[in-house]
Amino acid sequence: MSKGEIIAGFLAPHPPHLVYGENPEQNEAKSQGGWEQLRWAYERARASLEELKPDVLLVHSPHWITQQGHHFLGVKHLSGKSVDPIFPNLFRYNFELEVDVELAEACCANGANMGLTTKMMRNPNFRVDYGTITTLHMIRPQWDIPVVGLSANNSPYYLTTEEGLEEMDILGKATRKAIEDSGRRAVLLASNTLCHLHFSVEPEPPEDMAQEHPENYDGYLWDMRMIDLLRKGKTKEVFKLLPQFINESFAEVKSGAFTWMFSAMEYPELAGELHGYGTVIGTGNAVMEWNLIKAGLAQAA
Amino acid sequence: MTVVSAFLIPGSPLPYVQRDNPPWGKLADAMDLAGKALLASEPDTIVVYSTQWMAVLDQLWQTKPHMKDVHVDENWHEYGDLPFDISIDTALAEAAVKATNEASIKSKGVNYDKFPIDTGTIMVANFLNPGNKLPLLITANNLYHDWKITEQLGQIAGAEADKLNRKIAVVGVGGLSGSFERHTINLAEDKVASDTEDKWNRKILSLMEQGDVKTLLAEYPNYASKAKVDMGFKHFAFIMGALGGTFSSATVHGYGPLYGAGGAVVEYHL
Repeated sequence: MSKGEIIAGFLAPHPPHLVYGENPEQNEAKSQGGWEQLRWAYERARASLEELKPDVLLVHSPHWITQQGHHFLGVKHLSGKSVDPIFPNLFRYNFELEVDVELAEACCANGANMGLTTKMMRNPNFRVDYGTITTLHMIRPQWDIPVVGLSANNSPYYLTTEEGLEEMDILGKATRKAIEDSGRRAVLLASNTLCHLHFSVEPEPPEDMAQEHPENYDGYLWDMRMIDLLRKGKTKEVFKLLPQFINESFAEVKSGAFTWMFSAMEYPELAGELHGYGTVIGTGNAVMEWNLIKAGLAQAA
Repeated sequence: MTVVSAFLIPGSPLPYVQRDNPPWGKLADAMDLAGKALLASEPDTIVVYSTQWMAVLDQLWQTKPHMKDVHVDENWHEYGDLPFDISIDTALAEAAVKATNEASIKSKGVNYDKFPIDTGTIMVANFLNPGNKLPLLITANNLYHDWKITEQLGQIAGAEADKLNRKIAVVGVGGLSGSFERHTINLAEDKVASDTEDKWNRKILSLMEQGDVKTLLAEYPNYASKAKVDMGFKHFAFIMGALGGTFSSATVHGYGPLYGAGGAVVEYHL
């Protein structure tokens, strides 16, 4: 078996509005569109993913919150209807997905060996969270690539941000080793919004784009500053600023996916490709890609 | 009298799914006692505020008439399924939505198949209302609502029940101290993780038993902060709102650890 590789990482946020705006068959709620700039950004990301031809997608979602350890989906086939508890009017999605249980178990075991508390989720009635589903739908609506789903342990909120993100760093290292040992060609998906300050009232209809803009100008400026650094490949500087960014813009990257992904990729000083940026009820969302094949850091298929 | 009984219970599923673990079994026994007391008070409807139903936009009220399904807790999935069978007092729910909006708290009903019912609400249904004998009124914990607004929500629920001639049992669902064990523990040796928090929990429960509402209301901000209380103790704010700000005394049916956090089953005497 050849050595497995991480071939790309994507910042792949999960506002359910993007699924709602697209009107896929799986989602009960129907719209007149909306949030096109972000949806078109995902179209570019989808095209890139098609070229990458990964064996597996790994997604870390802030809406599967766990207190005791880092959990991994561990049931081969999961299906059901996922209703967003915050936006049930927008997201009622019938999902069906295949889990790469073998890789999930390896990630889980490696995490434990590196000192983390980890756990496999073996209950077949488990309802997959809407963050995981939205990110997976937006990046690969065909649902034809097995996935590994990781929970967001709430350590960055329960401990200090720095202590929590240290755990996510270890989780990333554990994930990388598992992928290398598995022989898989893997794509990582960090399901995170940037500035997470949002409106408290929803427009009618929700897709009225005349109402959509950054909720907070300072938060917008932070997003642009971080995206600019990411586009220039200044990864060290990004991670130096990360706690301040989180603190001042309530950034959702606090939940750990972004750190997990970069740790797994070994924090490459690599220019990220911005597929697009847009706001959703005022929050800042960027779809970005770090293509390790194009950068010569991984092998083409 | 509109409010015929009132209770504070923990939302953790552990007493339900692992009753044979002694520390959690005691809380399960306490829940059974609370369930008997609730039934004896002969309410028409059980009014539930659970910290685990989190909302961000609007104040949400469940308006789907009947929900029967299986839930799996996102953290405690290894202990199995949480089946539930819940009926809703839709007339009271619609009245609460209207009244909440009129009180300038933006509000709406939710009526969707497979809407995720939270674990705390399921604990009410399964421990306090087995067999789905009574309808529920369920509302969310909007994360941006403070003590005062949450208290107002309790008042609104009580007032609307009164208008509809409903006798209600009020249940605030949530934890006490919030420090929990992050790593695997010996379940039989579970204890409240911090001595300081344990002392705080006992002090607050003692004040409840004495019916010292004045001191309780003076102390709760300090308690919430020092003991990392679940959601700032807003579940108690909701109860106090429904009770019109007072009660005479309370019975603590049980107090104990829930993987390091504190939980209590309390019955308030009106």
